[in-house]
Amino acid sequence: MAAFKRKRGAEVRTGKTAKKVKFADNGMEPSSVAEEEQKNEFCVPAPISKGKWKNKERVLVFSSRGINFRTRHLMQDLRTIMPHAKADTKMDRKDKLLVINEVCEMKNCNKCIFFEAKKKQDLYMWISNVPHGPSAKFLVQNLHTLAELKMTGNCLKGSRPLLSFDPKFDQEPHFSLLKELFIQTFSTPQYHPKSQPFVDHVFTFTITDNRVWFRNYQIIEEDASLVEIGPRFVLSLIKIFKGSFGGPTLYENPHFQSPNMHRRMIRLAAAAKIQQKQTVKQMQKKKKMEEQEPVTKDVTEDVFVTPAEEKPEIIELQPLPPKEGKKKKEFKRRRMLKRKNL
Amino acid sequence: MNTYVSDEDSQLAMESEDDDNELSDVELQDAFAKGLLKPGLNIVENQPKRPANNADGLKQCLADFRKSLPWVERLDLTNKPAVDIAVQAEGKVSTQDSGDINADDDFQREMHFYCQAQATVLDALPRLQKLKIPTKRPDDYFAEMAKTDQHMQKIRQKLIMKQAAMEKSEKAKKLREQRKFGKKVQTEVIQKRQKEKKAMMSAVKKYQKGMTDKLDFLDGDQEKGKKGVNKTAVHKKIPSAKRKYKDQKFGFGGKKRGSKWNTRESHDDVSGFRASMAHGKAGKQKPNKRPGKNARRKMKNRSS
Repeated sequence: MAAFKRKRGAEVRTGKTAKKVKFADNGMEPSSVAEEEQKNEFCVPAPISKGKWKNKERVLVFSSRGINFRTRHLMQDLRTIMPHAKADTKMDRKDKLLVINEVCEMKNCNKCIFFEAKKKQDLYMWISNVPHGPSAKFLVQNLHTLAELKMTGNCLKGSRPLLSFDPKFDQEPHFSLLKELFIQTFSTPQYHPKSQPFVDHVFTFTITDNRVWFRNYQIIEEDASLVEIGPRFVLSLIKIFKGSFGGPTLYENPHFQSPNMHRRMIRLAAAAKIQQKQTVKQMQKKKKMEEQEPVTKDVTEDVFVTPAEEKPEIIELQPLPPKEGKKKKEFKRRRMLKRKNL
Repeated sequence: MNTYVSDEDSQLAMESEDDDNELSDVELQDAFAKGLLKPGLNIVENQPKRPANNADGLKQCLADFRKSLPWVERLDLTNKPAVDIAVQAEGKVSTQDSGDINADDDFQREMHFYCQAQATVLDALPRLQKLKIPTKRPDDYFAEMAKTDQHMQKIRQKLIMKQAAMEKSEKAKKLREQRKFGKKVQTEVIQKRQKEKKAMMSAVKKYQKGMTDKLDFLDGDQEKGKKGVNKTAVHKKIPSAKRKYKDQKFGFGGKKRGSKWNTRESHDDVSGFRASMAHGKAGKQKPNKRPGKNARRKMKNRSS
């Protein structure tokens, strides 16, 4: 424990806590702060909190073993954008979930975000109010981190966010409980020592397709033009428990389909298709192999039978006499002669 | 107590309340005595599982858990998505009020989130200004950002590259179009010149042979300005009879071999009907300007 206890709310000495950043030659203008030394090193002043920090919220963000790089980056991003967050080492999967409560108590945190990865494929997230309060388990999908190049916005590290909720959060009791949980977990307390005094980004929580969609936008202009910062993810609620990481189930989501079931449905559908094709083929084969009875009666025989008298067959043995010509060729002969004589 | 369902009328079954697989003989005997068992094979039916939804418990929990903080601490807002000013200006107002948005339509979904965030910002900024919380960062305030400067440089580079690639492809397209157009114009000019030359030569020949005694082909350029337009227009629209015949015979790869020819359409087609030939002018003489041998002999005798 340090002998010197820094008085909260007083002016912070820039000498100790300020970060010294070396700027490479990338054309950045020197800061216009006159007091600082004009060397190659520029001091970035630590955030100054001008009030007393009363709302003591601390969030512990950590995970179990077996997570992949994307989840790790997500945890880092959450710690970056939430200054009231703390990190911890990975938890062994052998331990039961109730151990997490003790871990949080040791770290003096009253909220917890715990990530759990199963089969190296599915990511589950627990959000919990640690000593007594409710907890919720979600399945995380469509995860994109801060580092993706399509997220072009940026915000101050540790600035306080605005929280934006869908009106649907007020319509159902389980959603309003979730809303309260999100507010208490994600909002940075005012005058937190690591927070920046500006409000320059907004978190949105929307309910669509029975899932909660999370987005983080940077506020560029006063007329509310926004750019996405990231991270972004989709949460499917599984269960809400009364206690922290345990206790009686208060709510179970009927629309939730576990990822195993989902994969199974896909496989079954594919299998059913193939099976159908095979049965059709088999039936065709069977039909071919069956003995087909020869048809004795021709059904179409009577189609052209018309009622009429039968004519007797006459066989001509002698040629017919020549017909008399109708055209009179005399006049033609005369005409031709006349022409020749011309 | 289990309710037992017989095999025969399992459709009108009553559902059992308690799922107990261990049915002792004593229990069965009791049930039979009471008349709950029917003859036949009895199956115990399961109650369909209903997902837990303890609304009262949820509300109670919320009441316990809720912290009454002033709005400044929480900075939360609940609102419907706003109609974007820019979108409104363009006149494209999407139907956001019509219930659920389609989660699969990416653009609509993201616009919905964007508009929701915008509505929040528009609501919240005046409130923050009243509470004297700054929202605009002054230009000389340097502080650590969530993404490093290096990363922002990378993003900028990528955007520039994308733009450059697009511009390049646009330029290439335009160039290609220009070249095609240029080629077209060139061929047209050449053809025109050849036509003119041909016309001039035939006019000169005619004059030489003595068929025409006018010399207006020499100053034909002035008149062709008026007539030439109509002629070219006519030539463009109607293909000549020769062209038509060739098209019919060889057009589209010449697929005339296996086609039917005594169809309804061919039967109804009377384009090959010449009234003059059909009603038989009884072998009309070939209109021959050159008189016959006898006539010529007579003419010769007469003239000489």
